[in-house]
Amino acid sequence: MLFARLERRLGGFVTALWDTNPRLQSMPVPALAPPGRVSFGHGVVRVPERFRGFAPAQATLLYHAAIAHAGAHIRFTEARFTQGSLKPLQVALISLIEDARVEHLAMRRYPGLRRLFLPFHVASPGSGGMAPALFARLARALIDPDYIDGDAWVEKGRALFLAAADDWASPAVSRSIGGLLGNDLGQMRVSFNAKTYVVEPAYRDDNAGIWIATEPPPPDADSETWLEAAKITPAETEPPRGPPDEADNQPANAARPAATTEDGSLPIASYPEWDHLIRQARPHWATIRAYPARAGRQEAIDEIIAAHAPLAHRLAALIEHARVSRPRRLRRQAEGETLDLDASIEAAIDLRAGLSPDPRIHSRMERRHRDLATLVLLDVSHSTNDRLPGSATSVLALERAAAALLGDAMAGLGDRFAMGAFCSNGRHDVRYSAIKGFDGAFDGAAKRRLAGLAGSLSTRLGAALRHAGRELGQQAAYRRLLLVISDGEPSDIDVGDRRYLVEDARHAVQELSLRGIDVFCVGLDAGGDGYFGRIFGRHRIALIDRIERLPERLPMIYLRLTS
Amino acid sequence: MILDSHRITTEPYYCAAGNEIALFAAAYAARMPMMLKGPTGCGKTRFIEYMAWRLGKPLITVACHEDMTASDLVGRFLLDANGTVWHDGPLTRAVRHGAICYLDEIVEARQDTTVVIHPLADDRRVLPLEKTGELITAHPDFQLVISYNPGYQSVLKDLKESTKQRFAAMQFLYPDRALETAIVAHEAGIAEEDARRLVLIGEAARHLKGHGLDEGASTRMLIHAGQLIARGVALAAACQVALILPITDDPDLRDALTATVDACLR
Repeated sequence: MLFARLERRLGGFVTALWDTNPRLQSMPVPALAPPGRVSFGHGVVRVPERFRGFAPAQATLLYHAAIAHAGAHIRFTEARFTQGSLKPLQVALISLIEDARVEHLAMRRYPGLRRLFLPFHVASPGSGGMAPALFARLARALIDPDYIDGDAWVEKGRALFLAAADDWASPAVSRSIGGLLGNDLGQMRVSFNAKTYVVEPAYRDDNAGIWIATEPPPPDADSETWLEAAKITPAETEPPRGPPDEADNQPANAARPAATTEDGSLPIASYPEWDHLIRQARPHWATIRAYPARAGRQEAIDEIIAAHAPLAHRLAALIEHARVSRPRRLRRQAEGETLDLDASIEAAIDLRAGLSPDPRIHSRMERRHRDLATLVLLDVSHSTNDRLPGSATSVLALERAAAALLGDAMAGLGDRFAMGAFCSNGRHDVRYSAIKGFDGAFDGAAKRRLAGLAGSLSTRLGAALRHAGRELGQQAAYRRLLLVISDGEPSDIDVGDRRYLVEDARHAVQELSLRGIDVFCVGLDAGGDGYFGRIFGRHRIALIDRIERLPERLPMIYLRLTS
Repeated sequence: MILDSHRITTEPYYCAAGNEIALFAAAYAARMPMMLKGPTGCGKTRFIEYMAWRLGKPLITVACHEDMTASDLVGRFLLDANGTVWHDGPLTRAVRHGAICYLDEIVEARQDTTVVIHPLADDRRVLPLEKTGELITAHPDFQLVISYNPGYQSVLKDLKESTKQRFAAMQFLYPDRALETAIVAHEAGIAEEDARRLVLIGEAARHLKGHGLDEGASTRMLIHAGQLIARGVALAAACQVALILPITDDPDLRDALTATVDACLR
């Protein structure tokens, strides 16, 4: 497919010209349907996957012209038109004048665009006098100064349009001229069929993007993914033992009594909990239950990665830097295979100068591997359903986006990692869902599990930390990193004392450090300095003040932690 | 004088974009360490050359790199027929004899190297030479200037907080359209019309920063293209050679830029 080959090039072209970065999407063109036209709106430009009747070289130019034209609309048609009581004929004409207006503005800046647009204007006086032919002739007359058309209506349109050259900056021009010409055409009793009308020439868009649609626009992309991801598809069978309970597949299980959740899951471990009042651990106090992660749509995750394409690109560049398994010469070593010549000379000079020489005069080659295992622990308690102020995006959607990008980056680095999510419903029911194990790949199944995360219940952080630490502890790696993403203070329904779970989590972190596991927390609460600092230590937290930047910050934090 | 070769005798061409000349002159009067921030090729080095000329001080430039050690800055003992002699490094020479010392791309140097400038960059203004045991008090004319390009790499390479906070900073950006046109026309020796077109192309290429390009097309690149045009190369070919091919290895992006250049031509 030509478009698939051109897609990145066209994306770069429209960004360079107009400083806008719409998503390009290919649009199927059924064999018997009318020829497809570009359509844009809501940050997406849909491009027909083929233009019928054009040779490949010509079609390449056509795609460039089409994308430059759509970009000119995005740049210069600032507000969409309202249809009001306008007839379809007038709508089509106003659109036509608007097309010419934005093209002229575009050509003022980029004169070479004229060479791109003009070859596709092939209408001539011989094309006929029906409405579509007249439209195509007018379109050509407005942009081609050398074109001569004898028709009075076409010439009137051209004269009106060129007379308004000083006012082209305002879309009101299109509206008034288009309206006038529409009236004329009405009086000439030229019939117009809006249903069969296809905009000519082929590079122009279908104009849907410049009119306010009668149906409400779709919500913004983030909330869309959020809704999609929250849709429940049948649970996967992993972990294999025990069929998932039906009740567990309902989204709003927060209100259900604890007893009914018992059979949906498997108790897999119990951990002690630290009681700061008695200064002792209560043995086997919290029970971890493995809950099968629900599967969402894999596309939701792929879309997140696509939507953050610039960021993903920057990450890929960073990853190239961070991938350190090429051999490195280590200089000034106390021992090694060869002498470091510079160091040896300096040592000899120091000896003669009567100074004590630096004994590290050897050098050796070393291949440094990233010997690292990371477990990313996501907090999916009920509070992560909160929307950010003034936005339809939930905290959980951002956590998910961040985890998706991080997972992509870690997979790219070849680092060993696992991902899990937790929430809790009292000490007997701390829920842990594995999204990706250390052995599995960050593939479709893992992405579906990530997409299926839903926020519910509370945050019993300590037990989750101990459990994640146990999994991480089984990995043989030089460095083991537990990366926690949490949005608030630990709490649970059976705990009244606010300090209790904080102190328990702090204790868990200290236990893990003793076992050589680094715990680092990314806190999504700018005011959480106090308790996050208390739990993890001041230098082991990064608080994100603008949560919407989490997807960008998280992979950076990871790279910084591990470089 | 020992630093005569470092004096700038003819006025370097520099077009002020704002009040940076007055600001820098004031900072120099206070001998305040300065940090010049901005993307590559936007005129940081030219600015410091111009200021050194204007203030009538010698300028010692050090291009920093990964393998640079502290002794590359400070100096080292060398052997001669009679034994060992101490040889001042560029920083020590600037400190001893009174020059503006410009450390270009300071983040490239390792962090342990950059700490040698700390005692110079606060009110002590001294440079201790560990090897000789000497403590040099800076010459009254000495000033420390660093350049710093906070690009995307700054995640892995960044200045220490303690280094950053010793400096006052000035932000440099690509000049605005009219100014950049004048600069390109002057530096390349081409007609204003051609320069205007080059600047338009440059602006378009800068839109791609973060969308495939790590940095936009710099003013320096546009001047390169202009210099080729001045020698009779067609504009499209000059852009191809001086701009598109150097800036990216990605064939799709190269095609996108070629199409963009085409759109900018009459």
